[in-house]
Amino acid sequence: MKTVVVFSFLLLNFTGITFAQELKKEFVDPMPQDSRSTAVKVKGGTMLFLAGHTASQPAPDADLGNFDAQFKATFDKIKNTLAKAGATVDDIVSMSVFVTDLRYVPQFNKLTKELFKKGYPAVTFVEVSHLARPQSLIEIQPIAVIP
Amino acid sequence: MVSESVSGGNETEESLISIMKRLGLFAAILLAGFSQPIVAQEREMIIPMPQSAYSQAVKVKGGTLLFLSGVGPADEKGVLAAPGDFRGQVRATWDNMRRVMAKAGGSLDDIVTMTVYTTERRWGEIFTDMRKDVFKTGYPSSAFVEARKLRTPGAFLEIQAIAVLKE
Repeated sequence: MKTVVVFSFLLLNFTGITFAQELKKEFVDPMPQDSRSTAVKVKGGTMLFLAGHTASQPAPDADLGNFDAQFKATFDKIKNTLAKAGATVDDIVSMSVFVTDLRYVPQFNKLTKELFKKGYPAVTFVEVSHLARPQSLIEIQPIAVIP
Repeated sequence: MVSESVSGGNETEESLISIMKRLGLFAAILLAGFSQPIVAQEREMIIPMPQSAYSQAVKVKGGTLLFLSGVGPADEKGVLAAPGDFRGQVRATWDNMRRVMAKAGGSLDDIVTMTVYTTERRWGEIFTDMRKDVFKTGYPSSAFVEARKLRTPGAFLEIQAIAVLKE
C-alpha cells in the first residue's frame, strides 16, 4: 500500500512537470473582421522564429504585380518552412506584414480568413517603400509556437 | 537508537519509519516539481540606454509570452486621436497599449521588446523622451524604423510589442 502511495506521489510529480510544458494558448480580444487578434498569449511549447518570407524565391517573377499570386506563393513557402520544423499555419501566433501598398490589406484579410482555422494571430501591417526585390509586393515575418 | 529502545527492535515499525522518511523525500521532490512553474520570473536588462529609454537586450526566463498586434493612436473604432499632433498621438498609443496589456492580464512593464514604426523619424527624440515616463522597472529593447504609411490614415506611429507576463 505504502509503495502505491509513494508511486502515485511520484506520478503526480512527473505529470506536474508535464503540465508546465504543455502549450496553453489564448487569443486576446480577437477581431475576426480584421482576421487578427489584438494579442496572443502563450505559455509552454516550442518557439519558432521565421525569416521574412516573400514570393520572390524560388518562385519565378511571373507573379509580378499580382497580389493574390504573391500571397499564395508566400504562404506556400511559409507552410513549407513550418512543415520542416514540424509546425502548421495554425501554430503562427504573430506576423509582421510588410507591404508596398496598404490598399492590399483588405485583400490580405480576406485571404488569411481561409488560412487560420483555430484563431487569428497578432498582426502588424506596415507600408514600406521597398522590399528586398523590386517586384515584391509583400513580405511576411511570422513567429510560431509549436505544441 | 531511540526507535530501537521504544520499539524493542520491531522490524515492521522500523520499516514504517524508513517508508516515512522516503515519503518525506518524495514529498520534497513533489514540492520541487510543483514549485517549478511558480518560480518568480527572472529578468535582466542588458546595457540600458536611459538617455533614449531602451535596453540593448532584455534577458528573461519563465513567464507567459504575449504577442501583440501593432498598437497605434486610434481608438477601438479606428478613429485617429490627436490628428497632426505627434505628442498627442504618442500619449494615445501608450494609453491604448496600457489597455491591451491590462486586458491580457499584465501591465506596460511586462513589455520586453518593441518595434516602433513611424512616418516621422525626425521626431524620434520626442518619442524616446516621452518613453522615459512609461516604464518603471527597466526599459525594453527597441527598434525605431521609418515606415512609409501606417494602417490608420494620419497615424505618425505604431508599436509592435512582445511582453512576458509574470505568471
